[in-house]
Amino acid sequence: MSMTNFQACGVIHQFRGDALITNTMSAMFAISAVSPSPLNLASVPLMGGASGLGLGLAIAQPNRQVMVLDGDSSLLMELGTLAQIGDVAPANFIHFVFNNSLQFSGVANLDRPGRNLDFCAVALGAGYASAQKIETPEALAAAMPELLEQNGPHMVELIIRAPEKFTHETPQPEIPELQFTRMGAESAAMMDALGTTR
Amino acid sequence: MANTDYSVPASAVHAVLREKGVNAVTTVPDFIQFALHDRLKNDPDMTYLECSAENQALTTAMGMYVGGLEPIVMMQNQGLLNCLNSLRSVGIDGSIPLVLFVGAFGREFSNLGQPLTDSRRVMVNRTQPVVEALGLPFYNLETPGDLPKVAEAFDTARATKRAAVVHFGYFPAWN
Repeated sequence: MSMTNFQACGVIHQFRGDALITNTMSAMFAISAVSPSPLNLASVPLMGGASGLGLGLAIAQPNRQVMVLDGDSSLLMELGTLAQIGDVAPANFIHFVFNNSLQFSGVANLDRPGRNLDFCAVALGAGYASAQKIETPEALAAAMPELLEQNGPHMVELIIRAPEKFTHETPQPEIPELQFTRMGAESAAMMDALGTTR
Repeated sequence: MANTDYSVPASAVHAVLREKGVNAVTTVPDFIQFALHDRLKNDPDMTYLECSAENQALTTAMGMYVGGLEPIVMMQNQGLLNCLNSLRSVGIDGSIPLVLFVGAFGREFSNLGQPLTDSRRVMVNRTQPVVEALGLPFYNLETPGDLPKVAEAFDTARATKRAAVVHFGYFPAWN
């Protein structure tokens, strides 16, 4: 069983409230479409940066829920960030890993390394308060109330079904300008929303 | 000059950080700034976070900044080379005015008082050109007389909404 990025983000949207959400890669496109908000901050073009951004926000805003929408390959790039998250142990922190076992999902669907790596085991070993693997949107919706109620940090590995890759008939488009300006624009918007602009 | 004449007192740097409102540090600790690390880690008003890699130090500092803290990022010259893409993203595209404190690991003492670019060692002689190639300002602390450059780095970063690098050419002193 598995779910799509959009299904997972749809559930997260239902439960996010005023949570700050850092996001990257394929989850970025889904959360931007499903749950647009000045409280979203994309790590783009910066694969691997979402977890660090989220940790920094969780430290600076301890009374606000922080959710990280990470990619599996993205987390592998900065796996050491789990060590810091385990050390700090922010109670307000939910770390979703969108695991489709691919790099460039929906584009080229290339294999990623770490086929045998257990994200939940690594997170628990680093000191996360909980870790679980979730395969359906219904199970994610059922888990969300407790994830929000119980102190984190929580790791939630989402089993994601990748979209079809590009083909000769469906060629990949040029990367839009937005992708190169949105990290600055979204950080400015989030600071405006938080009242931290200076 | 004796080698120790090149040391900037860590207490003086710490005082500038207080004056600039710095209240957080993310770091992959370096071999040069031990005296400053010691002071900042033991400052009860400072959030001090050791990171596994410099990319993470930068992104976590960005999250802290967006959330309202005033972090600096500390690393050594090899670490700077390790995180250039994150520096590009956070310190230029992201418009986050982080000041990076970078220690000159590997600098031969015979290079003290000479241009960094004349060092025999690549990690020393390439640091400034690499930072400047990114279009970011570089402030080298060569003697205690260079201390005003620290405040200048903060002022420039905040005015331009870009990162700036303060480079410790020699060990800061423990006083």
